[in-house]
Amino acid sequence: MTDRISDIWGSRTPYPTGADWPVRTDQYLADGVSEADVTWVQSACVLCSMDCGMDVAVQDGRIVGVRGRATDRVNHGRLGPKGLFGWQANAAADRLTRPLVRRNGNLEPATWDEAMDLVVERSRQVLDSHGPLGMGFYTSGQLFLEDYYTIGLVVRGGIGTPHLDGNTRLCTATSDFALKETFGSDGAPGSLTDFDSCDTLFIVGHNPAETHTVLWARILDRLAGPNPPRMVVVDPRRTKVAGAADVHLPVRSGTNLALLNGILRELIVGGHVDKSFVDAHTVGFDKLAQTVADYDPERVAEICAVPADDIRAAARLIGSAERLVSTCLQGVYQSHQATATACQVNNVNLLRGMIGKPGCTVFQLNGQPTAQNTRETGADGDMVGFRNWQNPDHVADLARIWGVDPLQIPAWSPPTHAMQIFRYAEEGAIRFLWITGTNPAVSLPELHRIRSILSQERLFVVVTDAFLTETARLADVVLPAAMWAEKTGTFTNHDRTVHLSERAIDPPGEARSDMDIFLDYARRLELSNSDGEPLVPWRTPEECFTAFARVTEGRPCDYTGLSYDKLRGGSGIQWPCNADAPDGTERLYTDHVFNTDPDYCEDYGHDLATGAALERKDFVAIGAAGRAVLKAAQYQPAHEPPDDDYPLLFTTGRTAYHWHTRTKTAHAPQLQNAAPEAWVELSPSDADRLGVAEGDVVRVESRRGRIEAKARISGVREGVVFAPFHFGYWDRDSDAPDGRPTAANELTMTVWDPVSKQPQFKGAAVRVERIADGGGVPAPAPTTTASEPVIGKLPPTSGGAGVRETVEQR
Amino acid sequence: MNMHKAIEDVHDAEAELAKRLRMTGERHASESDLYHLGHTLSRRSAEHLQALAPFADRYGAKPAPDDLDTSPGVLETVRRMGAQVIGHSEAAGLVLMADLRELYLAAQHAELAWVVLLQAAKAKRDAELIEVVTHCHEEAEMCGKWLRTRIKEAAPQVYAAG
Repeated sequence: MTDRISDIWGSRTPYPTGADWPVRTDQYLADGVSEADVTWVQSACVLCSMDCGMDVAVQDGRIVGVRGRATDRVNHGRLGPKGLFGWQANAAADRLTRPLVRRNGNLEPATWDEAMDLVVERSRQVLDSHGPLGMGFYTSGQLFLEDYYTIGLVVRGGIGTPHLDGNTRLCTATSDFALKETFGSDGAPGSLTDFDSCDTLFIVGHNPAETHTVLWARILDRLAGPNPPRMVVVDPRRTKVAGAADVHLPVRSGTNLALLNGILRELIVGGHVDKSFVDAHTVGFDKLAQTVADYDPERVAEICAVPADDIRAAARLIGSAERLVSTCLQGVYQSHQATATACQVNNVNLLRGMIGKPGCTVFQLNGQPTAQNTRETGADGDMVGFRNWQNPDHVADLARIWGVDPLQIPAWSPPTHAMQIFRYAEEGAIRFLWITGTNPAVSLPELHRIRSILSQERLFVVVTDAFLTETARLADVVLPAAMWAEKTGTFTNHDRTVHLSERAIDPPGEARSDMDIFLDYARRLELSNSDGEPLVPWRTPEECFTAFARVTEGRPCDYTGLSYDKLRGGSGIQWPCNADAPDGTERLYTDHVFNTDPDYCEDYGHDLATGAALERKDFVAIGAAGRAVLKAAQYQPAHEPPDDDYPLLFTTGRTAYHWHTRTKTAHAPQLQNAAPEAWVELSPSDADRLGVAEGDVVRVESRRGRIEAKARISGVREGVVFAPFHFGYWDRDSDAPDGRPTAANELTMTVWDPVSKQPQFKGAAVRVERIADGGGVPAPAPTTTASEPVIGKLPPTSGGAGVRETVEQR
Repeated sequence: MNMHKAIEDVHDAEAELAKRLRMTGERHASESDLYHLGHTLSRRSAEHLQALAPFADRYGAKPAPDDLDTSPGVLETVRRMGAQVIGHSEAAGLVLMADLRELYLAAQHAELAWVVLLQAAKAKRDAELIEVVTHCHEEAEMCGKWLRTRIKEAAPQVYAAG
């Protein structure tokens, strides 16, 4: 038995280049439960974007444990700490079990009929007074495909407003847009098996040891085996990943693009460009070469505050790779010039000709488990099935399938992004806002602003959630939602693997699935198609899945070969899956023909510096027609540079033990005890200058707000302050700080990337002061992760005993 | 020869664009993208003028002194505070559209001034000037495309809601 809180990644199963990753089945059952007494129900984990295949153990109608699915291609039986313990949230005593309606200022229990009648009455009022543009919908990255597709049809085909986005805007919008800009459509080019065969890893702004623990276990097993991959890691923190790197580049926050331009220049100058690949399969090389020409290592070193020789060393490793996997996540996506930087990571692999073959790919990773599905179903900034909103044929095709007039579908502009939806609500243009499965009162930037928007009298707020979150506390109507394992549905991970998750238990009380809630809403609103029939023709998740598969036919994310039956048993399956590829498709672009045909592409692209949308004629003029587009951009200084008043840069992130705003993970004692409260990380030199010792209480202040927490002296780079973004106020029975602010987003600024519209959570200017002595007691931060203290050795974070790991002997 | 005139025209148009980018950003500070991108592009316009400075000397142009100091003055602070009041009212949209249209015209004006100068530079066979103007023209054109995108996205909410 292993303690998987102290041993986050579990035991090593080393393997050589190109071999199959050994199977190790991880299982955790609650105390006193015998394996003989449980029923196993097939599912997959929803606590990061890996979507590890798992079985849920059920006894007497309750979840009592989980085990990894040995047959699953994603995890080969493994689970991370959140997957092993997070299921306990389903049985939490504070689950929402009845609808709540605000009466005389207080949220009071109501029947579903009362709550839904009110929601429908207010919808009708706003539709009468403001039209569809008065209605806004903000959804999640954690519902199921069937929930999203139903919401998408109701909102876009029925109500007809463009104001629908997912919180995926905060997590993977840049992944989506970088793929569209370079390859013509969304969809990860590679496969997780590329980690088995690569010889070099380029990890940019990404801490998989904590964000994707099972992926890091796979990399650790490569590192422990023969011919381990070499690693270049870009991260301002000394993470476990950075610690294992051959070259670690701890760049100053907000300078990613300068670094990437510098590396591209070194690849070009050093003769590491695969010229025949670039000539045959890309457009834009000359412009790219011209743009990066000025980024010599000395200049880049000055901008990024890393040694020039390290930049050269990184470029040499990447330039000498024979099989290169590059990965990219929030350090890029939530920073200044996000899409521009993510595109340069694509360019690294394109210049090296390393895509579409084993061990050679770029991963624009996701954060949330079902983020990919918001993009496929059009519940975010995209149209269903990766259709192009600027292409009238695509819109007409969708309208035909939905049985609505093409004019009904809002396609005059891209779907409204989340920050703009909140802006419209702020100015009173949106009067009705329905938030499903997300907690913007903690997760959006500049929280005092978000709280004031949600608290407006003139805005009617509906929240669907499993818990009474900070956001739910500000709502007019709260609807109790069924969670994972309480409903059947599917979801797709960041290498296009689709999993089925079966209903294992009943939802508590009167909680319902989001799909059922929106079906009810559509019925009560009497939404119909052009023939006067109900707009949404399905009643069950399986019917919805079948309808969705039909709408993806011929598109890059073709689901037509998938069904619930096919997904039952065995492993998850990668799309496209159709008659031509009945077992799914491991890699896209194996023929190096990309999705940039103007009639087929999902997007015509943007100017990376301004976000100016290209039109069809601009895109045709680029002449990509099946070739990848090498897009270039100049580095620009960040929006809020440090100054005398606010001399430090603030960055935020995740710890291995928590998920988002902790509504699930705080209900699992092992996870909650591992990281029970907020902390702030300072570098040793900054701490020294500020007179802060380990465990002292500090105040971190930006132009927008402040937080107070105990200080951990960690391996974060000098000049940068880190705080985890998990710690809001719901477990203090409050929606707001109440004198003791801890939510990282009190400090962040309202600004977003011009192309992906992803908010910039990283890089606000702050100042730090010591406000109380810690009495020598260390901060309550984990010691097993990037928040490991640099001063003195502390015992490892623990408390996850009882996990059984079974390594399959070969 | 009127090369100096073409350079002065570019200078006037870019300086005006830079000023308007910043002012519109300040006036609509609640539109965060306009505020931040307005300032970024305003700085970019100032860089264009710097790149043009050696050619002003070469052709004897005497551009009017500009005020492209990017630090926020008292007036801008007042504008920004005013923006917070406007930003919460329902009339914000109409004011925004009017200002964006003005700004778009300023961007068009600047773009055309670069086209004129590029034509003249070609006829003068001034390779250095051609290179600078080609780059600046591309960026000026993109500024206009950005505003066009922004206007297209903002229009439905302002004119068709309600």
